[in-house]
Amino acid sequence: MTSRNNIKIIAGAIVCHEAKLRGDVTIGAGTIMHPCAFVNAEAGPIIIGEKCLVEEQSKITHRVPFDRVEQKNVPVLIIGSNNVFEVGCNVEACRIGDNNIFESKCFVGNKVTVTNGCIIGAGCYITEEQVLPENTIIYGENCLQREALCGPGQQTLQMDTLSKMLPNYHRIRKPNLKS
Amino acid sequence: MEMRDVTYNKNDYVETASGNKVSKQTVLCGSQNIVLQGRVIVQPEAIIRGDLANVKTGRYCIISKEAVIRPPYKKFSKGVAFFPLTMGDNVYVGEKSIINAAVVGSYVYIGKNCVIGRRCILKDCCIIEDNTILAPETVVPPFTRYSGNPGVQIGQAPECQMDFMVDFTRSYYQHFVPAKLI
Repeated sequence: MTSRNNIKIIAGAIVCHEAKLRGDVTIGAGTIMHPCAFVNAEAGPIIIGEKCLVEEQSKITHRVPFDRVEQKNVPVLIIGSNNVFEVGCNVEACRIGDNNIFESKCFVGNKVTVTNGCIIGAGCYITEEQVLPENTIIYGENCLQREALCGPGQQTLQMDTLSKMLPNYHRIRKPNLKS
Repeated sequence: MEMRDVTYNKNDYVETASGNKVSKQTVLCGSQNIVLQGRVIVQPEAIIRGDLANVKTGRYCIISKEAVIRPPYKKFSKGVAFFPLTMGDNVYVGEKSIINAAVVGSYVYIGKNCVIGRRCILKDCCIIEDNTILAPETVVPPFTRYSGNPGVQIGQAPECQMDFMVDFTRSYYQHFVPAKLI
């Protein structure tokens, strides 16, 4: 695979130097990436939207399913805005909408499409090919699914605090694109 | 039964005056806010987030590989505050566990791959089994054993849990020795 890194950070994003970014990654304004977050665009570009929160040890991978490896046009992994990737989550989904929460140690396979307002509970695994309807919650040992009446609350308060605190302790990558 | 020696490469660890052994491959953010009381072992690739709030551990704590110690946050009407995280003495944290608790008591055993949710309170002498996921704000009473997803009580810890953990963490520390150069 190519080892070229092509990282675009739009002004307003806070990306710690210790965050590992591989391949063609675009990070939208207002997104916060903690140290040791790992974004791996091994199959094609990843575009992360605005105001996402990516915590440490979370892994966002763009991986094409085995049966589609032969195809030439590799799709772009587009991640919407206001998503939260908590500590230690492992997300390979082929498309992610807005306002989703991926809790600690969850795993989302590369055939899953996540729409808007979904919560993937801590320790849940979803690997089968499916489209999660809006406001789905996946929870518990057996990864049960149910629909929420409304989507998860926004994390703007936490993001505000973090955006003040993180630059005091970490080296921040310089944005290289204007919004 | 005597524990076997676990050896480490002397160049990979820093030993402080109070006997803390901290691997150089850990990620300690905001190290001025992290207090390790002494004889604490922090193994490679563990993450301690002192930048968010103070983290304080007791003596003889063992933080295994790839564990994450992260102060919890709470939402208020005016913004979010991160709470300090305190950990008692003789605590063992297993590999790849995520500790988001507010308080971890003394003589606590936390297994591998656990997720301790935000602002959980673990009282003294409790056992969290491997792969447990504790929901946010769970209070784990003393001398209990928790397991499952979401974590529920499945039994009790033995009365000797305190002595057991003291023995376990001390002998772990004593048998965690630098490899002898030949």
